Amino acid sequence: MTDTGKKAILVVDDEITVCKSIRSALVQENYDIDLALSGEEALQKEQVKRYDVMIVDLMMPGISGLDLLRSIKTTNPGVQVIMVTGYPTMKNTLQAMQIGAFDFLPKPFLPADLRSLVAKALAAGEGQGRASGGS
Amino acid sequence: MSLREIERRFHDLPLRRKLILSFLAAIAVAGLITLYVGTRLQHRTIISLAEAKVRHDLASAWMVYNERLAGIRDTIRLSADRDFLRDALWSGFLGDVGARLDRIRRELGLDILTLTDGRGQVVVRSRRPEISGDDQSADPFVMQALRGGSPGGTQIVPRAELLKEGQDLADRAYFEFVPTAKAAERAGTYEENGMMLKASAPVVGRDGEVIGVLYGGLLFNRDYRLVDKVKDIVFKGEKYKGHDIGTVTLFQDDLRISTNVMDDQGKRAVGTRVSQEVNQAVLKQGVSYLGRAFVVTAWYITAYEPIRDIDGRIVGILYVGMLERPYIDLRNRVIATFIAIAGLGVILILGLLSMIAGRITRPLGVMVEATDRIARGDLAGRLDIEGRDEIGQLAQAFNRMTGDLHAAHNDLTQWGRTLEQRVEERTRQLRETQDQLIQSEKLASLGKMAAGVAHEINNPLTSILINTHLLLERCEDHALEREQLTMIADETTRCAQIVGGLLDFARQTPATTVQADIDEIVERTVQILEMQASVRNIRIERRLHRSLPRIAIDKNKIQQVFSNLIINACEAMPGGGVLTVSSRLSRDGTHIEIAFSDTGVGISPANMPRLFDPFFTTKRMGTGLGLAVSYGIVRQRGGTIEVQSEVKRGSVFTVRIPLEENIEETGREENGS
Repeated sequence: MTDTGKKAILVVDDEITVCKSIRSALVQENYDIDLALSGEEALQKEQVKRYDVMIVDLMMPGISGLDLLRSIKTTNPGVQVIMVTGYPTMKNTLQAMQIGAFDFLPKPFLPADLRSLVAKALAAGEGQGRASGGS
Repeated sequence: MSLREIERRFHDLPLRRKLILSFLAAIAVAGLITLYVGTRLQHRTIISLAEAKVRHDLASAWMVYNERLAGIRDTIRLSADRDFLRDALWSGFLGDVGARLDRIRRELGLDILTLTDGRGQVVVRSRRPEISGDDQSADPFVMQALRGGSPGGTQIVPRAELLKEGQDLADRAYFEFVPTAKAAERAGTYEENGMMLKASAPVVGRDGEVIGVLYGGLLFNRDYRLVDKVKDIVFKGEKYKGHDIGTVTLFQDDLRISTNVMDDQGKRAVGTRVSQEVNQAVLKQGVSYLGRAFVVTAWYITAYEPIRDIDGRIVGILYVGMLERPYIDLRNRVIATFIAIAGLGVILILGLLSMIAGRITRPLGVMVEATDRIARGDLAGRLDIEGRDEIGQLAQAFNRMTGDLHAAHNDLTQWGRTLEQRVEERTRQLRETQDQLIQSEKLASLGKMAAGVAHEINNPLTSILINTHLLLERCEDHALEREQLTMIADETTRCAQIVGGLLDFARQTPATTVQADIDEIVERTVQILEMQASVRNIRIERRLHRSLPRIAIDKNKIQQVFSNLIINACEAMPGGGVLTVSSRLSRDGTHIEIAFSDTGVGISPANMPRLFDPFFTTKRMGTGLGLAVSYGIVRQRGGTIEVQSEVKRGSVFTVRIPLEENIEETGREENGS
């Protein structure tokens, strides 16, 4: 949560177009949205700013989505993380859920779906104590 | 030929001949011994029989001889007692005494009959009355008679005395020696004395004194009556092949003087002499001789005994002989009969032997033949030999052996055939496996690629989809733009679906198997799709087994496969048709087979190899992943999908699932992203 009272969201994807598209989809909701093009960048940003929700691509060069998730969940378990992936499998879905992802969104998705999921994640984050919630 | 060679040749003979030869050798040895001993015995028996008869005949001859002598003695004694002799001697007046004596002599068949006075002076000679007065008192017969005796016996009479009785007697007695083989050496070339059977008796006066002597005799030389009489009495004149069986001879010393032995001209063989052997035994040693002897022209079984004169001196020989020929012939006949019987026996035994040998060796021959057949590879034949003997047992063993061989051979042949079949089967399976492997590899690499491609495409799709929707949200009032944007969004969604299908194919979620009834799954799938099918004028016919064993399987996945195949079949029949769904247990009982048979357009041969390739499709709206995914699912369970198709007639897709779960080891790994 920022000082402006806006909910802070960090979008992490190695493709800039995907990042921008997600930001465009969420712009109308009046969130404070930051973008990170790699796991490393995400970790840096996460150190200086506290985010309510993080939208993380699963497959990235360098620090993978799952590694990033694991790292965030150890340092800041209160952040709700929505995993997105172009290749969802039972295996990586389960892994992500076990580590503590809020939910899993397969690409491509509709802006409406994303908005509702982010809203749910924010609501869950406000509940606090429900560190990991079902969809 | 050496003994070794004979042995070798014998060794090479057929068994049958060997047996017969061995038996024959044994029979020959035994037979020859028997024959030899038998013939010897026969010969001995017959010859000794003949000798006994000859000895007996000789005794008969002596009887005739002595009878004759007794006859002469009696006649002389009786005649000497006649009164006219006494009167004549008494008175000294002879009158017709000579004539009367001569008459008596003829009646008696004597050669001489002579009367002497009491001093031994010849008074009258019946043959030659003109010669008288000579002194005969030195003659042993006269001497004894003068003393009152009346002796009888044999006497050698000198030629001088014979001449007194008559030239004819002297001539009869005279013999020139006929040269005789085997006779003893003898001085001189002739014999002039005679041998006489002689008797004498005293003429007794009224006072009992001897007043004279009457003596008479029979000259044996050339007188054949005695010998012929003996022959008639003893042998009854029997002849054998022109020869008299019996012969009788009187010898004077060693000279034949009276005989019925004939020489080769058919004349009596007088003048010949006895053999040295007989001479030595009979004349020198005074013993009788019995045995075989060659008499003039033929072999005889003979008996010789010495004739002694009144003083006991040996003067001649009485001989009786039987022709050996009849006995030899008899013996030969007996032996011939014996040999014939023996020969017949041998032939009989040979026949029997041949039969026995045949019986023994025939089965062996059959066996040799059978062995040859087996050697040529014909194992079907059996030996038909009865019996419990060694050969029977051999035959049985042989039959067992050929039976086993035959069975083994058949097994081998069968094996060879089965092996061929198996090789074919395996080759086919191998080819299939290879095909499947190629298919699997294709799928595996495609899966990897699909994952990457899907991921990469999903990113731009995400951007397109989001931005299109954002645009749509903003142009709620612009119908034309909305329509175009909606088209972009829908096509993007369709792209996403294609990628999703691709990902479905690439993603192999772990199977969650449960024991399930395949027929039930088929039935449920058919029920779900039946309505859609009937709309398209397609009838689904069920031919389900209904009692298949339950197998472990992922029900959802296999239902997806059946669903895919039914949808494909329906799409292959655009004008309607019949889809037959059948299930059965494979012939070997290891697989369940579910066949989907349509009456559709069929698959062109060119398309067949690519049927299961991902993205291969002939449908306008198909993703080309249905069959590939289905194939992947079935392969994962260890099964196969086989296709038979004929253009314009229809296709049959057969899913074969093993009863035993046999998850493919080369199953694709899931790839995390």
